[in-house]
Amino acid sequence: MHIEKHPVLGRQLHKPVTIYFNDQPYQAYTQQSVAAALMANGIKKLGVSRKLVQSRGLFCSRGRCCSCYMTIDGEDHVRSCLTEVEEGMRIYPNMDDPEVRREIDED
Amino acid sequence: MKTDVLIIGGGPAGLSAAIETASRGLDVTIVDEASQLGGQLNQQTQVLRPLPSVYEPMRGFELANKLIEQIKGFNVRLLLNHRVVGFYADGSAGITDEENVFPVKAKKIIVASGAAEKAVAFPKWTMPGIMTIGAAQTLINRDFVMPGKEAVIVGSSDFAMETAIQLMDVGIRVKAIIEKQSGALAKEQEKASELSKNGIPFYFNSFIKEARGNGQVEQIDIELPDEVITLSVDLVCMDGGRAPILDVFYQLGCSFGFQEELGGWVPQYNHTLQTGREDVYLAGNAAGISTQGPLLLTGMIAGISVSEELQAISPAEANEMREALWKELGLLEDKEVYSGRIKHLENFTSPLLKDQFIS
Ligand code: FES
Repeated sequence: MHIEKHPVLGRQLHKPVTIYFNDQPYQAYTQQSVAAALMANGIKKLGVSRKLVQSRGLFCSRGRCCSCYMTIDGEDHVRSCLTEVEEGMRIYPNMDDPEVRREIDED
Repeated sequence: MKTDVLIIGGGPAGLSAAIETASRGLDVTIVDEASQLGGQLNQQTQVLRPLPSVYEPMRGFELANKLIEQIKGFNVRLLLNHRVVGFYADGSAGITDEENVFPVKAKKIIVASGAAEKAVAFPKWTMPGIMTIGAAQTLINRDFVMPGKEAVIVGSSDFAMETAIQLMDVGIRVKAIIEKQSGALAKEQEKASELSKNGIPFYFNSFIKEARGNGQVEQIDIELPDEVITLSVDLVCMDGGRAPILDVFYQLGCSFGFQEELGGWVPQYNHTLQTGREDVYLAGNAAGISTQGPLLLTGMIAGISVSEELQAISPAEANEMREALWKELGLLEDKEVYSGRIKHLENFTSPLLKDQFIS
């Protein structure tokens, strides 16, 4: 759930955007992180751990624990708690080891 | 890129160091991996006190705005969404914008990298829905997102009590406070009693035995002194305390000492907040875990020391200001933390750990 009216900060949610998680559309607001926006839509499982394949979600929301890796707009292994949502963003869970990044403009 | 002072971390300590240096005409660069200055202050809605005498008590995010406002008039270059990833042989910092890495050569570096929250381990503690109290606070006050509906809090520090109240205020049901000690650890007793008045049970001498759930936390077993109870929750907020973030200090080759009261391993420093490396100073939680008032004071001390080294103020002036700030620190800071700090200063000449890479 998004907090529409905060007891101290009042109304703060301004610009709604649509993001896509596993190709499904969800509503978010521009100042939110990807991990937070997904949580507002009831999605807490952001991926699985690489070794024991256990569910992982947001833990520190500070960019320190790396529990929130996701694939965002084609880039693997991005900390979703530090990435702000953008209109039309495509987000996928982190289900295994990322592909090693290659030079993109090498055709 | 060249700069007089490179400040690593744009939270309260980094900003107050920036004000001290930039206001004296130095060219200052702040690097922070977040997209916004202010660090953890941004999601702190609680009123902070005591603050240094130049500030009246205010809420965390108000203080962030005030500090940001103050640096606006000065020569401060901001590298937001940037990270320090290492150092070159000539001492330049390698800074990345997450795409390219470029060197920044600074005459002096002030590291104000802050603190990280520690976890409280129990079986399945890594499940989604289980998070630090800081993360829960960030979700509510920065992202405007409900982290859950029914919660328990593990720990009873002031920060944990504050977070429990903030969770309640947005309509989350706090079902219990679980504390392994025999009483609440919060120094501000009013907060703990506000929670008990609201009917929230405190389970002392207790801990989480196990969490369960399918893909996210749904239930927890709590081991009480004489029985085990099960609660349905979708949020567990844990307070494992905080430890200084040290990565940058390892890379810089600073020496360390262990000081329980300051949060464990802390870089060595002297009364000017200079580390074992002559060109590197530190401030804030990186210099030992503390509360917001003292964090600002350490930033001011580091900023004044660097200004002195770069001849923006005279040594006499610097000494006088530093002494006054240390005195204020002694008054504002928690007694145990302050005495840990003094012990730590005394160890400056005999560091426990030097030239070791333990990250
Ligand atoms: S939640 Fe810890 S790095 Fe994102």
